[in-house]
Amino acid sequence: MRPSWLLISFFSLFIVIDIVFLCVHNGRRAEFDATVPSLNSLVAQMGLSDLALSTEARYTRHPALTDPVAPFMDHIGAIEHFPSGSFMAPSSVRKVGMPNE
Amino acid sequence: MNNSVQKQLNILDYGLQSLWRKKFKNLCVFFIFTLVIFLLASFQCMNTSLTRTAEKLLLTVPDITIQQLSAGRQTAMSVETIKKLGTIFGITEINPRIWGYYFDETNGANYTVLGTDDHSFAPLQLDLLESGQYLKPEEGGQVVLGQAVVDNLALSGRRYFSFFRPDLTLMSFQQVGVFAEKTNLLTADLILMSLEDAGDLFAMQKGYVTDLLVTVGNSNEIQTIAAKIAEKIPGSRVLTSAQIQKTYQAIFGFRSGFGAACLLASLAAFVILAFDKGLGFSKEDQREVGILKILGWQTGDIMRLRFYESLVTSLCAFVFGMTLAWMHILFFDGGLFRPVFLGWSVLRPSFDIVPFIQLQDILLVFAFSVLPYLTATIIPAWRASMVRADTVI
Amino acid sequence: MKTDIQPVIELSEVHKFYNQGQLREVHALKDITLRVEQGEMICLRGPSGSGKSTLLSIMGCVFGPTSGFAAVGGKQLSRMPDQYLTCYRRKTIGFIFQHFNILPELTVENNIVLPLLPLGISPHDQKKRAALLMERFGIMHRRDFQASQISGGELQRTAIARALILDPPIILADEPTAHLDSTRSLELMESLTTLRQDGKTISLTSHDPLVTEHKNVDRVVDMEDGCIVESESVCS
Ligand SMILES: Nc1ncnc2c1ncn2[C@@H]1O[C@H](COP(=O)(O)OP(=O)(O)OP(=O)(O)O)[C@@H](O)[C@H]1O
Ligand SMILES: [Mg+2]
Repeated sequence: MRPSWLLISFFSLFIVIDIVFLCVHNGRRAEFDATVPSLNSLVAQMGLSDLALSTEARYTRHPALTDPVAPFMDHIGAIEHFPSGSFMAPSSVRKVGMPNE
Repeated sequence: MNNSVQKQLNILDYGLQSLWRKKFKNLCVFFIFTLVIFLLASFQCMNTSLTRTAEKLLLTVPDITIQQLSAGRQTAMSVETIKKLGTIFGITEINPRIWGYYFDETNGANYTVLGTDDHSFAPLQLDLLESGQYLKPEEGGQVVLGQAVVDNLALSGRRYFSFFRPDLTLMSFQQVGVFAEKTNLLTADLILMSLEDAGDLFAMQKGYVTDLLVTVGNSNEIQTIAAKIAEKIPGSRVLTSAQIQKTYQAIFGFRSGFGAACLLASLAAFVILAFDKGLGFSKEDQREVGILKILGWQTGDIMRLRFYESLVTSLCAFVFGMTLAWMHILFFDGGLFRPVFLGWSVLRPSFDIVPFIQLQDILLVFAFSVLPYLTATIIPAWRASMVRADTVI
Repeated sequence: MKTDIQPVIELSEVHKFYNQGQLREVHALKDITLRVEQGEMICLRGPSGSGKSTLLSIMGCVFGPTSGFAAVGGKQLSRMPDQYLTCYRRKTIGFIFQHFNILPELTVENNIVLPLLPLGISPHDQKKRAALLMERFGIMHRRDFQASQISGGELQRTAIARALILDPPIILADEPTAHLDSTRSLELMESLTTLRQDGKTISLTSHDPLVTEHKNVDRVVDMEDGCIVESESVCS
């Protein structure tokens, strides 16, 4: 078997895999798209402005509605810690937290 | 088979064989390149998935959100304000809302509390509740919980639990419903209660709320109406739906920009490596080219040979890396990059990322990986092909 | 491809400079005039550095002369751009090199088919042609050996097979026996003789008396310091 056929089979194999992945992807999207109208009405009803992706502080749960001082409102240590916040929580997240502590 | 196709295949064969002969070196390059492409592609795909999902879901944010500012900070506003707005033509509906955060000290988690009196909503029909029912307008103390809240409070079947008011007196709640899993993206940390209960929990003055949601009949008028509202309520902040959607895109833009900067640096390092690898070509390589040339290979054939070699390396790495990235997003929910995009969280909302694969992203990754690699190897290839045939005589 | 134009190789007043105009300028060939007829076997002889390989390169269309007239197989070299030179070379010339110039990492068979690759010949045909030649030169049993793992004699025969794969009318061999013992050298001369009987024009360089005094060598051309000293005809 000549090497270029091997290469072509390698590519074909991956194209098949990728097509399968795309089908999975389309399935997931279709599933999601089916729920979109009802979720949209939920959003409209409650006036949610953000996704509940993370809940570390109010400004990440609702980044769209923060003001420049919002980070300081949660607690004193909660200055915007991105990018470090992407990799670790503040050491005392379980203890600090209350504004009056 | 066509002669010139056969010729290209022959050269490709030869190139593949010579790649295979130096397999250690080339496999190393291949794997590093695959890794770089995998990172770049997962990152890009994850970014698109999140922003597109947000875009789709937040399509229906209220036309206008009004908040009261005092000393540059948001404060409660009186529901009486609604009366001031009644005269503005074009507003179809105004709903007061309390939207706050309850810090659960024992779990160290922030919950989002939403108090509403708008009962025109039938979530059961929309399949939004997993169990129970929606708030009943006549009964107080009822809540509908998001799934992450249920897990975090460890209710395990109990219907009643208590929260502290600011003065540390307890306020008890009855859980009447749980939001369905498919709404997790929006409701994971949500506690829905009546406006009155929310005011009670946060010890707010009676008749005060955090914001007003305004619905406008004609969406073209949102801007003008927002301007009128701002005029009528001094010290207010008036947010339009367009602003909210834009800000939301920006937050991911910020995070993904940071990640992309790191990845591009690693990509640049890799391209330099490729360039260097191609440039330092040994006496052996030189002799090989000389022999091929004297046996009748053209300069163009040699360049094509070298070009095919780097094309094969980079395309294989691209296809392989891309497939891995899709797998990462589809089956592992982008676990590697979740922290970068989402930050830390005590109340980790569990949700599957809705994957969004688009041609643009594939092309973008291609343009930032395969193309630089090919250009980086073209000069070395050209140099190699310039070896003269008579060097081997 | 057989050419009917005679002579097959014609050089007149050929000069060759290396690094012309530079400090390390070498005047490698001086005023060379030489004719080689169709079917002739000639041998270039001379001390090291006398310009044998350079002359052979010009005959082999590797490069044109710096000045003078050079025609191989009826085509004038100095007029041809590099690209055509290469095309023409692979149709016309078979090379056997001083150091074999076999790629050590390739198998014997893959070495032999190297000139076929850029011509777009299918792997099946490549194998068929290579098999014929390997059979003829007795290296069939070494077909899938790496070139670095076979003996000097087998390497030499691989080189001959590779030179013949495109069936060129002219064979050029630069010191083909330099790495061979006397038996092998004689064998090689036998092979070359059979090629000559096929009507091929052969030009060799050598110091080896086994070659220069071989009965089938038509003519020995003596070279010294880039000039042809004398041209002695052995027969015909
Ligand atoms: N590429 C080159 N650049 C500069 N000078 C060269 C080059 N090739 C050969 N020469 C010089 O040209 C002269 C003739 O060289 P050539 O290789 O033709 O000699 P030769 O007769 O084949 O010697 P040998 O018997 O050692 O192979 C030598 O002086 C050599 O140094
Ligand atoms: Mg020489």
